Amino acid sequence: MDKFKVTFLPDNKIVEVAKDTTILSAALSSGVCIKSDCGGDGVCGRCKVIVKKGRVLSQPSGLISAEDRKHNVHLACITTIHSDLEIEIPLESRLELTLGTEGIYSVSENVESGKKILSEISFKYCPLSTKLYLELPLPSLNDTASDLDRIFRGIRKTQNLPFVQTGLSNIRQLGELLRDSDWKVTVTLGKINDTLEIILVEPGDTSNRNFGICFDIGTTTISCQLVSLSSKKVLGTKAAYNKQAGFGSDVITRIIYSRQEEGMEKLHSAVTETMNQMIKELTVEHRVDLNDITCVVCAGNTTMIHLLLRVDPTYIKREPYVSTANFLPVLRAHEAGIIINPRGLLFCVPGVSSYVGGDTTSGVLSSGLYKEEGLSLLIDIGTNGEICLGSKDFLAACAASAGPAFEGSGVACGMRASTGAIQKVKIDAKSFSVTCSTIGDARPCGICGSGYIDLIASMLETGVIDRSGRIKLENHMRVRDSEAGKEFVLIFKEDSATSKDIVINEADIENLKRAKAAIYSAVSVLIKRMNFEFNDVKKIFIAGGFGTSLDVDNAIKIGLLPDVKREKIVFIGNSALSGARQMLLSIEASKKTDEIARKITYFELSADPGYMDEYMSALFFPHTDLNRFSSAK
Amino acid sequence: MVLQLMTERWTGEVSAVTIGAAAKDGGTRAYSIKIGGEKSLPCLFKEGTLPNKPQVAFEVFDVAPNDWPNEVLKPYGKSVNDPLEWAQMCVQDFKARSLCIRLLGAHPDFGNKSSEEEAQLIKKLLEKVSVPLIILGSGDDAKDNLLLPAISEAAKGECCLIGPAVQDNYKTIVAAALADGHCVIAESPIDVNIAKQLNILISDMGLPLERVVINPTIGALGYGLEYAYSIMERARLAALSGDKTLASPFICFVGQEAWRAKESKIETLPEQGIIWEVLTATALIQAGADLLIMRHPKAIEKVNRYIDNLMTNDRTQSSK
Amino acid sequence: MGLSGLDIYKLLPKTNCRECGFATCLAFAMQLAKKAVSIDECPYLSSEAKAKLEAQAQPPIKLITIGQGETRLQVGNENVLFRHEEKFYHPPGIGFILEDNITDSEIKDRVEKINGLKFERIGQALEANLIAIRQNKDAKRFVDVVKIVSSNTLLGLVLMSDDTQGLKYALEVLKGKNPLIYHATKENSAGFAQLAKEYKVPLVAQADELEEASGLTVELAKQGVTDLIIEVSGKPMPERIWDLTQIRRLALKKSNRSLGYPSLVVIDKNDLYEEIQEAATYISKYAGIVLIKNIESWAVLSLLTLRQNIYTDPQKPLQIEPKLYPIGQVTDKSPVLITTNFSLSYYTVLGEVEASKIPSYIISVDTEGMSVLTAWAAEKFTPHKITETVNKFGVKGIVSHKHLVIPGYVAVISGELEDESGFKIIVGPKEAAGLPSFLKNLQYG
Repeated sequence: MDKFKVTFLPDNKIVEVAKDTTILSAALSSGVCIKSDCGGDGVCGRCKVIVKKGRVLSQPSGLISAEDRKHNVHLACITTIHSDLEIEIPLESRLELTLGTEGIYSVSENVESGKKILSEISFKYCPLSTKLYLELPLPSLNDTASDLDRIFRGIRKTQNLPFVQTGLSNIRQLGELLRDSDWKVTVTLGKINDTLEIILVEPGDTSNRNFGICFDIGTTTISCQLVSLSSKKVLGTKAAYNKQAGFGSDVITRIIYSRQEEGMEKLHSAVTETMNQMIKELTVEHRVDLNDITCVVCAGNTTMIHLLLRVDPTYIKREPYVSTANFLPVLRAHEAGIIINPRGLLFCVPGVSSYVGGDTTSGVLSSGLYKEEGLSLLIDIGTNGEICLGSKDFLAACAASAGPAFEGSGVACGMRASTGAIQKVKIDAKSFSVTCSTIGDARPCGICGSGYIDLIASMLETGVIDRSGRIKLENHMRVRDSEAGKEFVLIFKEDSATSKDIVINEADIENLKRAKAAIYSAVSVLIKRMNFEFNDVKKIFIAGGFGTSLDVDNAIKIGLLPDVKREKIVFIGNSALSGARQMLLSIEASKKTDEIARKITYFELSADPGYMDEYMSALFFPHTDLNRFSSAK
Repeated sequence: MVLQLMTERWTGEVSAVTIGAAAKDGGTRAYSIKIGGEKSLPCLFKEGTLPNKPQVAFEVFDVAPNDWPNEVLKPYGKSVNDPLEWAQMCVQDFKARSLCIRLLGAHPDFGNKSSEEEAQLIKKLLEKVSVPLIILGSGDDAKDNLLLPAISEAAKGECCLIGPAVQDNYKTIVAAALADGHCVIAESPIDVNIAKQLNILISDMGLPLERVVINPTIGALGYGLEYAYSIMERARLAALSGDKTLASPFICFVGQEAWRAKESKIETLPEQGIIWEVLTATALIQAGADLLIMRHPKAIEKVNRYIDNLMTNDRTQSSK
Repeated sequence: MGLSGLDIYKLLPKTNCRECGFATCLAFAMQLAKKAVSIDECPYLSSEAKAKLEAQAQPPIKLITIGQGETRLQVGNENVLFRHEEKFYHPPGIGFILEDNITDSEIKDRVEKINGLKFERIGQALEANLIAIRQNKDAKRFVDVVKIVSSNTLLGLVLMSDDTQGLKYALEVLKGKNPLIYHATKENSAGFAQLAKEYKVPLVAQADELEEASGLTVELAKQGVTDLIIEVSGKPMPERIWDLTQIRRLALKKSNRSLGYPSLVVIDKNDLYEEIQEAATYISKYAGIVLIKNIESWAVLSLLTLRQNIYTDPQKPLQIEPKLYPIGQVTDKSPVLITTNFSLSYYTVLGEVEASKIPSYIISVDTEGMSVLTAWAAEKFTPHKITETVNKFGVKGIVSHKHLVIPGYVAVISGELEDESGFKIIVGPKEAAGLPSFLKNLQYG
């Protein structure tokens, strides 16, 4: 098979690709990003490039003016490579992706410490997109099946699906591609409902290079994993703050922002930039060609998914709180601005309602809550906390607006659970000296969610704060006045990685108190609403990205979690991401999410007369009703 | 057919709070009054004892009040200008069983009397009348933090009910009451949770809950009465169900609220103000009020009679 | 106790077909448990499940109607013992006893006065409901008085008589007016049941003891009369409260059908205060109808106000009138503070403004009783809405400085509000507690 060298200017990036590869694919392989809104269908006209040297073959397109044609301008997506090339990418066609500022995310984050539990649940391996290597019989006068039929025939030998379809642009390049590659091609197949779609036809055998990416798009944090769809292996995991946070810390503010001029555009590019950066880093780190990423699964709350897809989220916020879509059809990743193979697929995990999204569905899938015999509870602690109560018989969910405190945002010295984050804290009852451990045993730079949980529990225990969260310790070197009320110093600047004191102030405590109250009261109201009591719950799954571990006793001591037998509580890490990964690897899992999302009954807490009262009573450590926390007294 | 009645079996009870110390208890009061101690909801004698009647206290100011309608000032005549005389009138002429003195004159905007001056007044008052006293600060947090410890000390050993302690300002007054043997009014803004939290914070400081009375902050008839009504019902149900942190008797400032109502200020309908005060008290008694601070002697008379009718549990009838 | 949502869910098809209009069977079941929808909405219900659910759908306390037209009174159908648990639904009827042994003109006079007992508080009409005519003389006089009263009032009537013959005449006169007959006892139940059935009117079942009352309603029900109101009479106040409490409890908690009716109390006190206080007590404690004698307007107003308070929906936020409120000795230089019409928001701001001693205007914007952040999130506290309110109350003509202060929590709207309203926007503190120092330092730049 012929290979050609393609040089992209002005980057001077060189890549070797097979004949008949499109320029767009080659560019992605080289790590240069070209705009492509249509996903390589040749209709948006945004991927114009200038062929400086070499021979290409372009499908006809009305999007290139006669003047442009004179200057060798081509659409990268419908132009195939037929010799070594030198290609210039004009400024307007470039998609600028600056690499993430250092320190935003660490290389390997353990976002999924609950793997043990999660891996028990498995679906039949059958990824959302598969690659199939075909060695087709040559046509002859006796076998005059068309090229396309020949491919269909080849596919049907292994796949038992009556409907196979593909896009026009694939067909257009088929004749030459098949012949140039000696009838040895790899087709990428995606199953959309009951139809098999040929996403891509490539020369030669690339079947062992098929990758997918799954995302958990949180209001504050975005996590993702790069998964080899052929080996089922997770190659890498990343987490980063959602750049949208610059436009408001909660979904309501974002929705309001989206209505400003260009607000939607800004929010959309913020989230896709974050995602594309993460993808890019993963592909660079693991030497994966962007072209070989054929599928993306996104789990996110409803607002996040609306913004990702540039769907107006306005009505989520208005009574009676209705979203535009909870179940989304399979889309092209490029339609949403996610940069993978231009024809790659995008699956969004189906959501339940405006405030309970696909991340919850995904969590229910990965925790296995939907098939529990006994009454179980899933608590996803995030900026938008979600709670799901149920068993194999029923599923009921509600949302709790907790704010980003447990994700380390909106608090003075907060940070995500990454290297250098204080995740365990102990205060000495006499001297008030502080012992803490950090993720990666690095010098401390800040405090993550689990660290805050430990911290507040020990401050309570040692009498640094009273039950309402006010600092009552007086005349001590660690306590001083600040603009946000009194503050308590954990780490003096000499010992911190940031050369600044690491502190917690009364405003932080108030934020954390509100966050834990929102979560606890939502759980409490949901359980009451269904006529149960805490003791009826047999298992509690705790999900969220606030640390690599969770001290359950301390979480109960501060009133974040109900005071139940400790063995009932299981920390499962980022369950939304795990669910999305399971979907990536199994069509069955994907079908299951549909079923789960339809089954979950959503309860609007603001419509529950008891909610406000429950919330107010939870604004105390551990709770106004001390009897509910007898073991934490 | 025998009708099976449904009787609640409560596990908790409201703590009984004693106000006023007689000689045998180290004070100089002629007697003490006891409130609280309920083991049942108001009037439901068959489910538990209600050992103490609700009490009504007359409200007296240290300076002539400037916002009382004529109708409620009239019965006291000129004595409102002299707190000692006023207090004496309540006790002698109107048979007040207890008095509530509000030290409004210490407020920076209403005279800014010094703590020493007010402490002197309390001392004289204690000499002049022998009924148990409820003493309220000026309503200015900063001033009260100076005033109330001084008052507390001046009345040391008399077991007064002093207040208010609020969530943002409870430490000074609780410490003073703890030192001088008084009870404390824990005031919360029509919120059962804050009432509870305040009680917990107070008891965390070491003051036993048997020395705390909750002021749930009431509204008058037609002015949010139902909020306090339900807060009190809820708190009382919780107390009877065993929640010690809500098991305090209630003090209700009925007069203050009722005489602020538009309906109470109509000169041509003098009785409307009285019945406003009476019905505000009546409804709150049904919600569990234990100590009512009232203003009009006639309203107080009617409410006292109502309490007598209500609390006379005719045992011959009930055993029928 | 009724079935819970989950109990009902188990009886449903669990197909989540959504034909009932709800997203899931469970959501539908939860509404069924609250009796907010009809089981007929589910097309796939088995007949067995239907029978079970229909039995559950019956209210534990029967709804009884007295009178007709707009002034009719409906009592019963209550669900809870304490208003905070949900709410009290049907305010008790307040009625006045009219003796038939006074002169015709006195009667007309009193009826006229009773008709006039109408008040308005916070936008709601407060009205008395019933006139009860009590027979003291012969049947003829009774019927004459019934005629006079009924031709002079639209209120529902109660016929208080032991004389079935007199009642029959009176019911003849009142055909279609649906009066309440007072009262059937153990002794006369047959005759009264006959009357109630013949004229299709509600009937009071009176007894001295609860058990007897329960037996009596069972007996009357056997005879086909189920539009009943219970009176357990002749006891001192605490005993009556006990009885009323038992009736409510047994009906709600033990599904006792024989006591599943509203109750009535007649107060026989000569002292006005005593009468009003006792009436107030029963209004608070479960009475469906309270009959008194006094018609003094100020006393009745206080009772009606109490009834309004107790029967206010505790789940609805308390609102104040959206208005421009001047606080203190305001001038055209006084600051203008914007808040919502949620009463707690308003009163918190008011308290702090008063404490600051700086005369100010407070504008409460109609946010349907939502607090600042909730209203903002629900788009009830938008620049547009605020501008509308500011214009409506003519703020431009009242102050000379063209500045508005908005709560710190909605700082984000300041730009848009400035454009829309034409006022300069000053962002105030987030919490009202910051107002006094904020106001003291406030300067228009």
